Amino acid sequence: MSDPTISMQLEVNQRVHTLRLEPRVTLLDALREHLGLTGTKKGCDQGQCGACTVHVDGARVLACLTLAAQVQGRPVTTIEGLSSNGGDLHPVQAAFLEHDAFQCGYCTPGQIMSAVACIREGHAGSDAEIREYMSGNLCRCGAYPNIVVAVRQAAEDLR
Amino acid sequence: MTVIETRAKRGDASDGTGAGGTLGTRLSRVEGIVKIKGAAPYALEHRPANLAHAVLVQTTIAAGRVRAIDSAAAAAAPGVLLIITPDNALPLKTATNWLGVKPSEGPYRPLTGDITFYGQHVAAVVAETFEQATEAAALLNITYDEAPAIPSLDGAGEGTVVDALSADWGDAAGALAAAPVRIEHEYRTPREYNVPIEPHGLIAQWESDTLTLWEPSQWIDFMARTYAEWFEIPFDNVRIISPYVGGGFGSKGFAYPHGAIAAIAAKMLGRAVKLAVTRPQTFTAFGGRAETRQTIALGATREGKLLSIVHRSANETSIKDVWAERCGTVTGIMYATPNFSSRHSIVPVNTVTPGALRAPGENPSAFAIECAIDELAYEVDMDPLQIRLLNYTEKDQHANKPWSTRQLREAYAAGAEAFGWSKRSPKPRSMRDGRQLIGWGVAAGTYPVRRTAGQALVRILADGTVEVASAGIDMGQGTYTILAQTAAGALDVPVDHVTVKLGDSRLPSAPVAGGSQLANLMTAAVHKAAHAAREELIGLALNDPNSPFQALQANTLVIANGRIAAPRDSGPGISIADLLRRIGRDQIEALRDTFAENATNPDDRFRNFTTITTMRAPTDGDYSMHSWCAHFIEVKVDEDFGTVRVSRVVSALDSGRLYNPKLAESQWKGGIIMGIGQALLEEGVVDRRNGRVVNNNLGDYLIATNADIPDIQVISVGIPDHHASALGGKGVGELSIVGVAPAIANAVYHATGKRIRDLPITLEKVLQH
Repeated sequence: MSDPTISMQLEVNQRVHTLRLEPRVTLLDALREHLGLTGTKKGCDQGQCGACTVHVDGARVLACLTLAAQVQGRPVTTIEGLSSNGGDLHPVQAAFLEHDAFQCGYCTPGQIMSAVACIREGHAGSDAEIREYMSGNLCRCGAYPNIVVAVRQAAEDLR
Repeated sequence: MTVIETRAKRGDASDGTGAGGTLGTRLSRVEGIVKIKGAAPYALEHRPANLAHAVLVQTTIAAGRVRAIDSAAAAAAPGVLLIITPDNALPLKTATNWLGVKPSEGPYRPLTGDITFYGQHVAAVVAETFEQATEAAALLNITYDEAPAIPSLDGAGEGTVVDALSADWGDAAGALAAAPVRIEHEYRTPREYNVPIEPHGLIAQWESDTLTLWEPSQWIDFMARTYAEWFEIPFDNVRIISPYVGGGFGSKGFAYPHGAIAAIAAKMLGRAVKLAVTRPQTFTAFGGRAETRQTIALGATREGKLLSIVHRSANETSIKDVWAERCGTVTGIMYATPNFSSRHSIVPVNTVTPGALRAPGENPSAFAIECAIDELAYEVDMDPLQIRLLNYTEKDQHANKPWSTRQLREAYAAGAEAFGWSKRSPKPRSMRDGRQLIGWGVAAGTYPVRRTAGQALVRILADGTVEVASAGIDMGQGTYTILAQTAAGALDVPVDHVTVKLGDSRLPSAPVAGGSQLANLMTAAVHKAAHAAREELIGLALNDPNSPFQALQANTLVIANGRIAAPRDSGPGISIADLLRRIGRDQIEALRDTFAENATNPDDRFRNFTTITTMRAPTDGDYSMHSWCAHFIEVKVDEDFGTVRVSRVVSALDSGRLYNPKLAESQWKGGIIMGIGQALLEEGVVDRRNGRVVNNNLGDYLIATNADIPDIQVISVGIPDHHASALGGKGVGELSIVGVAPAIANAVYHATGKRIRDLPITLEKVLQH
């Protein structure tokens, strides 16, 4: 049988990785299973929970609904690439910690990646707007009110 | 960041109430940093060498038999290593269940051709990659001989009364018949699902007859015992590693069939196997909350004083197993009534066996009684809060014992004050904001104090830092944090000098992280172990010939901020690390437990950690012990469209002493939010033709999103309850969901004049009435 894999180059967190994967491998599985970047979470694998949110070209996308092959040549940022190389927390991460904006922590990387983009998009102008634009990320522990406070504060810190 | 005050240690529960970082303070989660960086390792993120991937296949009928499984196409698909079906799966041995009972000595078959519910696992395909296994799983051709099924509680009959759950006092039927005011209604709750955002799954790996499992767990020791008995290997040969759990809410305490299948696959292949249950499969890989129905009849005086409560309830269970969602648990303890009768039945239907979901029993129980008392309030033209105070009960009438603590009056007062309840216009449909009808509702909640013995290891290391170890787990409740706080307080070291290790069966045993008990029992065990380590350290400091304190002839020493000194010595003393170096010790270790002094039988201890048979009832002892709460909720109902939105929540809660208010408040809010979803959104929809859960995904089974949730104010009205626990806490995690749904139903009635008695309260029900 012919080799079903193809070679692809993925630029993740400013590092280029060359992988041989089947074209049907999602970005989420490429990150978690092949690059060891397990900070991006699989919560539903069908685009409904937001746990796999990463940035592609700076915009938030669901890695479970994106094929790895689709993002060749487009920079991908995951939760592991959010804090600085020196280890300083991103203001959104710091705000999540301070305001206890998570419990089990499983939806948290996706929430944080969404929050960073939400602020960058200019959708953190009010609590109502933050709630609306953060509603693609489900949290079963129910950290929503604390997430709103954290996003509001991070938006102010980044202003 | 940490400032520890110097103070005398009494070694009792009054210690550690205030200083920075110790118990009672609002320390941020100590494990938070790894979670926000995406560096916390959840079970499926372990990457062993030579890993194979398993994908489950589930049935598409609810009852009958598998006629044949044609696996030729799947077997020929690329990368396929193994196809497991009922025909070739290794038979296992039946394991002891959580109640300590072994249902049979016969074999246990996690895959069988005997089908009793839609979505039952019937096969698994293992391949080199996840994609290959997924493709091949779709190629299995399965044929069935279908039999008639009972899809759900409707039309499933009356079931069987569970005698152990019956409760009676006085003459309930007679008093009801004679009561001047009588109301009787049926209340229903649908199937509800835990849906932790981390789906279930595991990695199983064998090395000869030793099995290692990376699997999220709320109860490591019970799950390890189950695997050990399934595979007939010693308990110590099973290791479960679960340092982080992505939510459980009651669903991650048992080893399920998918766990057995993964371990079988790993054994048959001689390779590590990862089995990730897909999100749709989670809806039938284990059960959520059973569907319930309840009828409550209240008899009362015209002034609203209860004379009788007659309660009849039922829940669905599976064809093969028994699950009782105990709907009478709140009914009998919330209000004073001279006459009471309660019966609960279970009704078999073709479903996966239901399971525990946040406050099993108490949650639906409170929905019925807290709606019913509200209905009575309108019947006798009384304020819903006033009728609750009028019927306040000063003792547990069922157990005939006083409450240990019951700050429910304080909860009503504090909640009403903060909410502005006195400004409520009593009549339904009397408050509005344009086309939005406004409703204010109140309801109470309660959850019992459960107690099981725990143990913990505390180790003072050579560098003066401290390690705490337990197989207990943290799924977001804050176990890491409050145990670090407990040890820091007991030893008087800065909290950032404490490392907590959890979630590994190699660590000292722990009972289930369920029943809202873990925080209380683990803080008690760590407190005890830390004090033992402290005493040993001071003893060595006083007596060791190489100790600088040996010459003092002192009776004791003080430890403060990680330094040890003579009590009235103005000098700085020396660090714990220095002392250990001088006396030539590389560590001091104390393993302590909270068993009774004479409970040393190893079998009893094993039973304590692997069953719930030693869990003490809330009424075991001189008191009846429960946590309590009152929810005040505002809804806005669109008059034209019937949409209901919760616009304001104020809840006052009595969980006793809070070990970390910041984390406890988060957990309370989380329970309230799950309660909002339960009231307005959550419902497993069953296709009556074939028993399929139609909405088995997160786009159709709706849980609350951020936009569904308003500001929530939580107020602690608890006081330390030292009957309930060594350090004064009562339950936190499950309490706050109890009473939310009825408070919303009551608010919807107040807004619209429409009484909706079956959850969820969706717009078509609001419009239909």
